[in-house]
Amino acid sequence: MKAPVLILVGGLVLGVLAYAGAYRAGTASSCCMVESKTPELAWLQQEFHLSDAEFKRISELHEQYLSGCAERCHQIDLKNQELAHLLEATNNVSPEIQRALADAAQLRAQCQSSMLQHFYDVSRTMPPEQGKRYLAWVRSKTLLHDTHATMHH
Amino acid sequence: MKSEPFDQSDGSLRQVLQQWRVETPLPPRFQEGVWRRIELNETRSSSSSSLVSRIVAGIARPSLAASYFVILLLAGVLTGYWQARVSNAHAEQLLSARYVQVVDPYQSLHQTSP
Repeated sequence: MKAPVLILVGGLVLGVLAYAGAYRAGTASSCCMVESKTPELAWLQQEFHLSDAEFKRISELHEQYLSGCAERCHQIDLKNQELAHLLEATNNVSPEIQRALADAAQLRAQCQSSMLQHFYDVSRTMPPEQGKRYLAWVRSKTLLHDTHATMHH
Repeated sequence: MKSEPFDQSDGSLRQVLQQWRVETPLPPRFQEGVWRRIELNETRSSSSSSLVSRIVAGIARPSLAASYFVILLLAGVLTGYWQARVSNAHAEQLLSARYVQVVDPYQSLHQTSP
């Protein structure tokens, strides 16, 4: 009676261990990505099959872009606050509101231009096929995504 | 309906019962039928308990034990692999969305605003 029970329990333990081992082995790469310093860049490296040299160059480009981006984000916040004050003060499209809207649009255009330039720089650093794939993907998620969202709202 | 308690010391009742004779004939093959029903009940009650004891006894056989181990091993590996694929897909989706949010200031604004 003892041996069959041991076999039954042993089989269950083996099944659980097999599950844990397969799961751990299968998620090893994504765990490394998530736990890295810049998980989004680690994902980019894996998704677009980048070599270490390419990844290093792209990380530098990313850092440069983000430092400029912080300043642009600050300007966007200021412009949004100004626009919000103007909109609260009146219920007409005053010349001030028109000017603030034009400034916001200009800021958005500048932001999108720098973003697009960054995408081109990153894509040129990648192998040609991957660069093409990256550009198509990132455009659809940013510039074209915005247009699509605006049209539906 | 309330039944009257049977008084075993009632002499007249006992006498009547002793005189009582069943004259109606039994249906054909009555005894055989009774035995068949008894056997059927015994088989039914023993089959459920014997299934467990048969499994326990059978698993001790090397060929069955090996099959049992292989089946559970394969089931564990396949389930773990499938779960890992689901987790990886989820992580990739999350990280790609995060990349887009980092590089596109307007998407960050949309995401953070309620």
